[in-house]
Amino acid sequence: MNIVVEAKQIKKVYGAKGNVFSALEDIDLTVMEGEFVGIMGPSGAGKSTLLNILATIDEPTTGNIVVDGINLTKMNEEQLSAFRRDKLGFLFQDYNLLDTLTVKENIILPLALAKLNIKELERRADEVADKFGIRDILNKYPYQISGGQKQRTAASRAIISKPSLILADEPTGALDSKSATDLLESLKDLNEQDKATILMVTHDAYAASYCNRVLFIKDGKIFTELVKGKRSRKEFFNKVLDVLSALGGGANDVI
Amino acid sequence: MTLFSLARKNIKGNFNNYFVYFVTLVFSMVIYYTFTSLQYSEKIQESIELSDTMSFMFGVSSIILILFVAIFILYSNSFFTRKRKKEVGLYAILGLRKKTIAKMLFYENLVMGIIALVIGIILGTLLSKLFAMILIKLMGSTADVDFGISFLAITQTVIVFMVIILFTSVQGYRLIYRFKLIELFYAEKKGEQIPKVSLISAVIGVLLLVVSYWLILKPFPDEFTTEYLMKNYGIAFVALFIGTHLFFQSVTVYLLRLSQRNKSRYYRGTRIIETSRLLFRIRGNARTFTVIALLSSATICFLGATYSGYYSNEKRAEEVVPFSYSHLSKGPEFDSQVESIIKADHRHPIKAQLDIPVIQVKGILSFQLDYDINPVQLISESTFNKAANALNKDETVSLSRNQAAVIQPRFTEYTKSVFKGENITIQLPQGSSKLPFVHMVESNVLPFDYPDFFLVVSNEMFAEIAKKEAPLTYKVYEVENEVTAQATSKKVNKLVGNDFQVSSSFYTEYKQGKEGNAITLFIFGFLGLVFLAATGSIIYFKQLTEAYEAKGHYEILRKIGVSRKDIRKSIKKQSLFVFGLPLTVGILHSCVTLYFTSNFMSNLIGINLIVPILTAIVFFVIIYAVYYVLTVNTYNRIVNK
Repeated sequence: MNIVVEAKQIKKVYGAKGNVFSALEDIDLTVMEGEFVGIMGPSGAGKSTLLNILATIDEPTTGNIVVDGINLTKMNEEQLSAFRRDKLGFLFQDYNLLDTLTVKENIILPLALAKLNIKELERRADEVADKFGIRDILNKYPYQISGGQKQRTAASRAIISKPSLILADEPTGALDSKSATDLLESLKDLNEQDKATILMVTHDAYAASYCNRVLFIKDGKIFTELVKGKRSRKEFFNKVLDVLSALGGGANDVI
Repeated sequence: MTLFSLARKNIKGNFNNYFVYFVTLVFSMVIYYTFTSLQYSEKIQESIELSDTMSFMFGVSSIILILFVAIFILYSNSFFTRKRKKEVGLYAILGLRKKTIAKMLFYENLVMGIIALVIGIILGTLLSKLFAMILIKLMGSTADVDFGISFLAITQTVIVFMVIILFTSVQGYRLIYRFKLIELFYAEKKGEQIPKVSLISAVIGVLLLVVSYWLILKPFPDEFTTEYLMKNYGIAFVALFIGTHLFFQSVTVYLLRLSQRNKSRYYRGTRIIETSRLLFRIRGNARTFTVIALLSSATICFLGATYSGYYSNEKRAEEVVPFSYSHLSKGPEFDSQVESIIKADHRHPIKAQLDIPVIQVKGILSFQLDYDINPVQLISESTFNKAANALNKDETVSLSRNQAAVIQPRFTEYTKSVFKGENITIQLPQGSSKLPFVHMVESNVLPFDYPDFFLVVSNEMFAEIAKKEAPLTYKVYEVENEVTAQATSKKVNKLVGNDFQVSSSFYTEYKQGKEGNAITLFIFGFLGLVFLAATGSIIYFKQLTEAYEAKGHYEILRKIGVSRKDIRKSIKKQSLFVFGLPLTVGILHSCVTLYFTSNFMSNLIGINLIVPILTAIVFFVIIYAVYYVLTVNTYNRIVNK
């Protein structure tokens, strides 16, 4: 199996001399193709910083990141944009849909930006819309649909360009439990059937229990790692809760 | 922290947003100050011929200016308040009393207004001298402008602007009382919705524009009455006004929607982003666009027309008063007195000196002409040819005994075909004679006097008539460098008096025309600048407000892989649309209107309007281009850094 993400010795330091705060300290991370990896940790642990660095929105102070065989630290802005467009798919807590575009236009945006031909574009739009069950709302605008529908739209957009890596930042954070479960089921299907590689930052132990593997971060360092293995989702969920209470700080978020 | 220091901090913090508004405000104060100080400046009034007119015109235009500036300030202020509702809401939540917040907003506005006023008056005092010099230069005068401070102008500027500033400050004061706290907080959250396409109003919009253009461009009817003028152009301008609004409101929406239909174009690159953003914003901008398009077309029209007047003044004066000096002979003593004055001016030596005998008779045309022809003035063929030659005109007339050539009456648009095949019957005490028209010449040799109906007749005929009806003799002189003959002209005018409806010396006519045109040009030029600056800055605020709202939008785009370079390009395209659309519509409107005006004017005075109009348009485009660059840079800095 191929390595999708290989991050080595990632360090992120904020502030100037005298008042330095390090958000990440020597993080090593490897994600294989077809893995569904969760990243958990209390607020301020550095989860989002790590995700942003992997998403190329932020840069590490030191360290080396290779995604899908491409070294991120050696690229200029233009190349990074193209990289984000072609290799990454994003899913955010606040959906990040463009309110001036219809659902369909939002979904196909990455392909339009890549100037894909129209036939292929329409075909893929239909495909992902079916996958996430949003065919009926394709011509609606984001302000006309529910939160769950918005997140499924965002998920459709994230996968339409068949990215090497899908990055999800608290994707269930703003959803009710039913919509959250629907979305997580969809992500799981995506992972199991389409072999999509997903990296998800979450507070929520329930969301984390859908992953194959969960990394726990505390104070910018990797605290521990849990692998689901042959366990059922329920058992894995309890395991995650155990680690979280050992970790402290995150306990409030669980309930 | 006192309220004042909080207000000061707020101004400092928001200065970037206020900057363009502030500059525009100061600029309009400078222009207002200049206008009023010119209105009261005795020094300048002494040095020009049209001093009454000038004072009046500056008075009127400063009123127009202040009305416009008042609207501009109120409009911009409503913008700022909208932007700051949330901030005000936050103060309220933090527990500041309503009264305290209101006072703070009041002070803030007041402080900014006063700072602008102080800068405006200082700059005004410094620059009004420069502006006055521009005016003097335009008028072709040589008067010295001393560096004076006009206390009257300062007082008036301060009073007028303080009233406006106080008014807007009170509006700021009332802001917190006018809204509920919750409304303040959700002010920016109100999402705009996608506009519905109304094919009917789009069609009506296009139709109205077509109709108004057609009405404006329609050739003049044979009978040109005031009623026709009012009806035809009244309807045309109402149609133009509504049509323009519908154009921005519906036609653009329809066109943008149409452009979305072509999916293979629409779904390619960033076009999808730009088109949809413009579509969303267009309704909110429609009213502003309409006002801007109409305002800029009116300004271009006025500027173009006045500049044409200025540009062609010499030609017009030459037509109205062909010779440098002309007067009616009033006996040898009087005539030689005039001659000696003219001869004494060594800097303007005489090039040609002629006697033009004219016989006034009663005549009846063989056809209906909408012009009062009596008394008909007769000039002999040889005199006309000699005079035309002296004026370096290559129009000569050769007639056989009974024929006549008409000289086109000035300020009319009759063509050769009007007189072709027709004749005139001249009535003399001893019977009448019928003269067929064989020719029409375009330029007269004597100054304009109504009715301006001159006939050139053959020498034999002239001699024959002269036996029965004694001719009047006009003495005319052509001198070198007639455009500078100020002193002699004054003396001659004084002596000659009112022989004609126009001045008897070319210089006076030329100079008065030049001064009048210079003043209007100066006024319209600066009014136009203020209009431009204000409309430009309104678009600038609108775009800025939009930029703050669109910050998230562009952040998302960057996350899904649009590079900064592409975002900048996309901003450029949208701004180009926003600036270009109203300007293009404005220019189109003004071209059509100016086509009408130039038809009208060139028929009257035969001048070419293309150069001045193009100059006015280029001037407009350049200033808008400056605002465009400014907008793109600020927008880009807000969303793309």
